[in-house]
Amino acid sequence: MTRQKSNVVYIKNPKEMRVNRRLVHHPLIAMRNAVYALFFVVCISCIVDNGVAQEPDVHFIDADGKTIAEVPAQLKDETVYLSIDAVKQVFDPAMTYQYNHPRKRLTLRMKGKQLRLQMDKPTINIDPGGEIVTLSAPPVIIGQQPMVPIGFFTQLLPLFNDVEVIYNPSLRRIQMRPKGAWMPTETAGPQNWAIIIDPGHGGVDDTGCQASTGLLEKDVVLALAKQIQQLNKPREMQVYLTRQTDTKKTHFERIQVANRNQGRLFLSLHCNASFSPHEKGIKIYLNNPKGQLRFPSTIGQAPAGQRLKILAQANFLKQSRDFAADLQTELNFLTEIPVTITELPLIALSEIYMPGVVLELGYLSNAEDLEQLSNPEYITSVAQAVTRAIQRYISSANQSLLPTASEQ
Amino acid sequence: MKYNSSTGFSRLLIIWGITLLVVAISLGLTLFLIEQSKQTVIPIAPPPLPVAANPSDTPPPPQRVNLFLLDPTALTLVPVKIERRLHTESTQRLRQVIKALIQETSPNFRNPIPRGTLLNEVYIDSHQTAYLDFSRHLTDGHIGGTTAERLTVMAILKTVFDAFPNDIKQVQILIDGNEVKTLAGHLNLSQPLHFFD
Ligand SMILES: [Zn+2]
Repeated sequence: MTRQKSNVVYIKNPKEMRVNRRLVHHPLIAMRNAVYALFFVVCISCIVDNGVAQEPDVHFIDADGKTIAEVPAQLKDETVYLSIDAVKQVFDPAMTYQYNHPRKRLTLRMKGKQLRLQMDKPTINIDPGGEIVTLSAPPVIIGQQPMVPIGFFTQLLPLFNDVEVIYNPSLRRIQMRPKGAWMPTETAGPQNWAIIIDPGHGGVDDTGCQASTGLLEKDVVLALAKQIQQLNKPREMQVYLTRQTDTKKTHFERIQVANRNQGRLFLSLHCNASFSPHEKGIKIYLNNPKGQLRFPSTIGQAPAGQRLKILAQANFLKQSRDFAADLQTELNFLTEIPVTITELPLIALSEIYMPGVVLELGYLSNAEDLEQLSNPEYITSVAQAVTRAIQRYISSANQSLLPTASEQ
Repeated sequence: MKYNSSTGFSRLLIIWGITLLVVAISLGLTLFLIEQSKQTVIPIAPPPLPVAANPSDTPPPPQRVNLFLLDPTALTLVPVKIERRLHTESTQRLRQVIKALIQETSPNFRNPIPRGTLLNEVYIDSHQTAYLDFSRHLTDGHIGGTTAERLTVMAILKTVFDAFPNDIKQVQILIDGNEVKTLAGHLNLSQPLHFFD
């Protein structure tokens, strides 16, 4: 009836339009609309049955970020529930269970332990040992099937010694990793790792980017840097910040903190901004003066000191890429959009004689990123992810320092 | 007529099918129109002639110049053609091109150069390095962030390298006559920059 060319719509037959208009007022149409409305209501009531709603799947992820299983979930009383089979699927394939219908009692046997659960009660008895664990929500019956709350995975499974569980509620992701993975080990070479965290910008003159809400880049990155330092206090490495307060620091002063403390890893924290309000996500940048955007080859004719300053990072590019990959793996767990790595000539990482990375935490120009970056809980989860990435990097760097069998 | 439930069901199915089809067609049409509007590069009318230095000189014919501006998604740079009567001398021509870039205010193509930025001076040395000296506003008026900073610098570089493919090999950005380490705290601008596609 219509044909479209550029932005203009041509109507071939105006009579057809008149016919259509008459139809609109026909009583049959009103009836049809009523049927639609009814169908819609039925659909909605099917979805929400007794306060239980089908939820997006929960993704179980391994230590390297690969999906182990996607498990269907149900929502009841604002708690995410999974079937017992999920435990078997992701935790212990040899697990067995019995459900006593009249007494509403569920018994699970896995990894040499017996767990007794009572429907609608949050406590779990673990034998042998008689330990009692209280979950944040009780197991329930949904569709005549016993279901366990998400807390069963996040609270209980870590008690089984061999796994660490990290939960991302907003993306429904549960990461299960071997406990103690990537911790610096006694046998793994030097322990005196000095990590330099550089909260970008600072002071009155250099606030970094500013969000529509007034949130400033300099404040977000300082809060995160302090959390990373705090998280690493009990560990066997020293974390130094290039600024502890909201003060202006020159590039030279920042480099001095890094080089004076013989840092072995440098992480510069920033928040991004885009001309598009839709652009969002975490981005990692590496200093490479020989990438797509590059310094000219005539740099070789510059005085030696200047050459050293510019090219110092080139010696650490491989290690910087390794650390960037570790950060990428850990941060991917937090975001829907995959974290990207880009190589550019960067000022924050020039003249630094150690592997280094710039981490752009998200876009203050994007409403969703802004909401997350304004949330202290999200900042904590980023600090934890960064800490895990640092541990992962140190562990593999230490491994590479270990003498090989042929050298022993 | 006796009511037949299977006929009623298939009629409902047909109604639903038609509804879905209409929704799909209108969605497709909308996406097509969006795509069309993305690809359209609006030629900008040439501005009035620059006053010739010597009134007896015949003005040069208008030439097409690509200014690199943000596409309607504001995510990538696209060449936007304008027409200018350009000087034959490289430095004069470079000044004209950069001024055209920083002054461009096309409604469909956002300019990644902060509005109000001025060009103080340009210079091309014997190593084919172009030095572009901008006013402080290029840094003070910038929104910040590595993404936006990169796009601002790339808009300048792409515009220069496109207009001077043989005469200019690298570009150094200066602010008020001084070398700067960076525009917004991320990119290293302490050296002249080159760009590989
Ligand atoms: Zn920044």
